[in-house]
Amino acid sequence: MRLIQQLKLQLNIWAILSFLIILIILLPNLMIGLQVFSEPNENWQHIKDYLLKDYVYNTLVLILFTGIAASVIGTSLAWVISVYKFPLRNFLKWGLILPLAIPPYIGAYTYQGMLSYTGIIQSTLRNSFDIQLDQKYFDIMTMQGTVFIFTIFLFPYVYSITKSFLSNQSASFLENARLLGGSPLGIFFRVVLPISRAAIVAGASLVILEVLNDYGVVKYYGIQTLSTAIFQTWFGMGDLDSAFKLAGTLMSIVMIILVLEKILRGRKRYSYSTSKIRPIQPQPVKGVAAWLVFAYCFGIFSIAFLIPFIQLTFWMFMTFEKIISPEFTTLIMNSIFVSTTAASVIVLIALIVANYTRLQGGFIAKLFSKITVLGYSIPGAVIAIAIITLFLTIDRIIFSISASFNLTPVFVLSTSLLMLVSAYIIRFLALGYNSVEAGFEKIGNRFTEASRTLGVPITETFFKVDLPMMKGAIFSGFILVFVDILKELPLTLILQPFNFSTLATKAFQYANDEMVNEAALASMLIILISGACIFSFHKILDKEHD
Amino acid sequence: MKKQFLFLGAIFLVALLVLAGCSGTEGVQTTESSSQANKSTSNNEQAEDKGVVNLYTSRHYDTDAELYKIFTEQTGIKVNVVQGKGDELMERLDREGANTEADVFMTADAGNLYRLKERGLLQAVESKTLAENIPEQLRDVDNQWFGLTKRARVIAYAKDRVSPSELSTYENLTDPKWKGRILVRSSSNIYNQSLLASFIELNGEEKAKEWAKGIVANMARNPKGGDTDQIKALVAGEGDIAIVNTYYYARLLNSSNPEDVKIAEKVGVFFPNQQTNGTHINISGVGVTRYAKNKENAVKFIEFLSSVQAQGQFAEGNNEYPVNPAVPPSDLLKSWGDFKAQDINLTILGVNNAQAIKIFNEVGWK
Repeated sequence: MRLIQQLKLQLNIWAILSFLIILIILLPNLMIGLQVFSEPNENWQHIKDYLLKDYVYNTLVLILFTGIAASVIGTSLAWVISVYKFPLRNFLKWGLILPLAIPPYIGAYTYQGMLSYTGIIQSTLRNSFDIQLDQKYFDIMTMQGTVFIFTIFLFPYVYSITKSFLSNQSASFLENARLLGGSPLGIFFRVVLPISRAAIVAGASLVILEVLNDYGVVKYYGIQTLSTAIFQTWFGMGDLDSAFKLAGTLMSIVMIILVLEKILRGRKRYSYSTSKIRPIQPQPVKGVAAWLVFAYCFGIFSIAFLIPFIQLTFWMFMTFEKIISPEFTTLIMNSIFVSTTAASVIVLIALIVANYTRLQGGFIAKLFSKITVLGYSIPGAVIAIAIITLFLTIDRIIFSISASFNLTPVFVLSTSLLMLVSAYIIRFLALGYNSVEAGFEKIGNRFTEASRTLGVPITETFFKVDLPMMKGAIFSGFILVFVDILKELPLTLILQPFNFSTLATKAFQYANDEMVNEAALASMLIILISGACIFSFHKILDKEHD
Repeated sequence: MKKQFLFLGAIFLVALLVLAGCSGTEGVQTTESSSQANKSTSNNEQAEDKGVVNLYTSRHYDTDAELYKIFTEQTGIKVNVVQGKGDELMERLDREGANTEADVFMTADAGNLYRLKERGLLQAVESKTLAENIPEQLRDVDNQWFGLTKRARVIAYAKDRVSPSELSTYENLTDPKWKGRILVRSSSNIYNQSLLASFIELNGEEKAKEWAKGIVANMARNPKGGDTDQIKALVAGEGDIAIVNTYYYARLLNSSNPEDVKIAEKVGVFFPNQQTNGTHINISGVGVTRYAKNKENAVKFIEFLSSVQAQGQFAEGNNEYPVNPAVPPSDLLKSWGDFKAQDINLTILGVNNAQAIKIFNEVGWK
C-alpha cells in the first residue's frame, strides 16, 4: 500500500515537471499558431501575387538538393570510415565532424571572399600568371552555390549519426554479407543502405531543419526563401500578420518533413550513443584503393574545413592588430558561459521529459516528444520576439502581485539572460532530446523494470541504474547543443542583454558591415572552441568503446 | 530514496538560480567595465558617477566604443550598449513598451528612423545645441530623430571602360546603352528602398516605377551580395557601373588587404544629378526612446555625438560625412570635392518606404 502511495508521488513529480516544461515550450508556439488564422490583409494579397510562389519554390529546391547531397556525402563517408582502414583514418574519423564548428554564414562569407575578384585564387592567377578568367567560373552566389555551402557545413549531421550506427550495430550483417561473397559495392547498396536508412533520414532531417532556419547565407547570396520573406515582411513592411502566416507556411513544411521522416524511418530507430554491442572491425585496404578512399575523405575534409580554416587564419593575421582588444576575453567568457548554461539546462530538461515519456508510454508521451521538436521548426527571430512578449506578460503579472502587496516591483525578467537561455531551450531542446531519447531506447526498460521490481522507487532507480548507463548519450547531446548555441545568431542578436556580446554576434557585426577580414578573429575563436569540444567528445566516446 | 528525489529537485533549482543569477553577472560585467573606465578617468580628474545611458544601436564600429568612453570620462555617465540589427532591435523596443531599459536608439537610414517615430517609439527633444549642430534637412520635422552622419548613394564606374562624361543622372541609367552593364544589390536592402522613395517624392510614383523597371532591364546580373561585392564585380568585368554608398568605396581604399586597395584604385565615383535635383543622401541617426528612464543623460549623449569634438571621429569611423557643418570631412572625402544633395527632408524617405517596396516587388527587382 505504502509503495503505491510512494509510486504516485514519484510519478507525479516527473509528470508535473514534464508538463511544466512542455507548457513553457508550447506557449510561444501557440502565440504564433493563433496568428496564422487571422484575417489576411491587403499586404498578404500582394505577397501572394508577386512573391509566395518563388519563395516556396526556392525553399523546396534548396532543401531537396541539400538533403540529397548531404545524405550522399555523409553516408558514403560514414561507410568507408566504419569498414575500412586507410591512411589518416583515425584523424579523419572525428575530423569529418569538424565542419559543424564553422557557422554556415561565416562559411558563406569566407568562400565568397576567397572566390571573389580580390580573393586569393583570382589574385594569384592575375598577379603570378597574368591569367584573367571569366567571372562565371567563380560565381558562388547562386542556388547551386548555396546548396554547396549548406551541404559542406551540415553533412556531418548525417555522417556522425550514420557512422555511429554502422560501427556499433552492423557488424553481423556485414560479416555475413562478406561470407556470402558480396562485392564491396554490392554490399553497400544491398545491405548498408537499407539497414542504415533510419540513421540517414534522421541526419538528413536535421540538415533540412537547419537550412530552413538559416537567414544569413540566403540573404547574403540573394536567394529568396521563406525565411528571408518572413524577415522582409515583418521587419521591412512592418506586417506582423503576414509574417506569421509565412512562418505558419514554413512550419507546415517542417511538419510534413517530420511526418515523412517517420514514414521513411519505418519501425527502425537509430542510436547516437555508444553501446556494448560488438563494434565493427575495420578491414585494411591496400594499394590504389587505399589512396582513392583516402583522397575522397581528405578532399571533403579540405573543402569543408581545412580550406576555410586556413583562409580565416590568413585574414586573422592580416587584421589582427586592428581588431585585437581586451574585449575578446569577455566575448569568449560570455560565449562559453551562455552555451554551457543553456546546454546543461537543455540536457537536464531532456532527461526529465524523456524519462517520463519512456515510463509513461501511450498517447501523452508521444505528444510530449513531438512537442519538443516544435521549436526547431520556427525561425529564431520569431521565437525571440515571442519570448519577449511572453516574459513581459509574466513581468506584468509579477508587477500586479507585488503592487497588491505594496512591494516595489522588480522587472527582473525583462532584460535578463533568463530570456536568452529560455529561447535557446525552446530552439534546441529537439537536439538534446533526440540524443537522450536514443540513449534511453538503447538501454531499454529491462534494467529499470528489474530495479522497480526489487522495490526501488523511480527517482532512485533513475540515479542508480539509468543515469550511469546514459553517460555517452548525455554527453553527446550536450556537445551537439553546445556547439550549436556557440554559433547561434538570430536569437542571440535580438535577445542579448546590455553589454553582452558573444563571439557569434561579434563575427556577424563585422561580416554584416562588409568587413569579412575583420570578422576572422571572432570566427576562428568559435571554430577553435567548438573544435576542442568535438575532439574531446570523440576521445571520451573512444574510451567508452574500449 | 527521499534524498535522491531532493537531489533532483536541488539540481533543477540550482539551474534556475544560475539563470536568475545571470542578471547578476550583468552587474559583474558592468562593474568590470566601469572599473576600467574609472582607471582611465583616474588619470584625468575623477568624474563622479552620474548614472547611465542605455543604448540600442545597429552601428558596430570600434571607433564608436572609443567615443562612448570619452563621453563617460567627461560626464561620469556610463554607456550600456546592445548591438544588433536595426529592424530587429526596433521590434524588441516596441515589444518592451514602457518596460524598456533603452534610452537612446541609433540606426542607419532615415527610413528606419521614420519607422521608429511612426510606431510611437521616440519622443521629441528640444535642444538648442542639436538645432545648432545639425542642419534642418537632417532632422525629423518634430525633432524626434537627429542625423549624425551623412552618406551619398553614388555611381561607381570602371575607369577603363566608362568615362565620367557618359554619366549624368540616376534617370539616365535606364537608357538602353547601359543594358547588361548595371550592378546593384537586392531590393530588400533599405538603401535601395530609400533611393526609390526619394524618386517617388521628386518625380512621382509613375516615373519612379518606370525607373525601377528600366534598371531591372539593364542589370548585369541578378542582385546579390552587398555594396562591396558590386564594386568587386565591377572591376572583375561583370558590369561597368554600380550603384553604391560612398563609405563602402572609401573602406576599400583604406583596406588592410592590398588587393582591395588595388581594385578600389580602378574605380571612380560619380555624384549624379549635379545639374538637376542633386545626389541622393541618407544618414545614420539617433532618437530618444519614448519611455526613456534617463532622458537627461540621453540628450547629453546625443549632444555630445553631434559636437565638434566627436563628429569628426564618429563620421570617420565609417568613412562618412559629418552632419555638423563646422566639422570638415576626412581628407579622402574632401578629395572627391563638394556635391549638391537632394533637397528633400529625409522624413519623406520613411513616408514613401512601403510604396517603394511594393514597386520593387511589382517590377521584379529581386
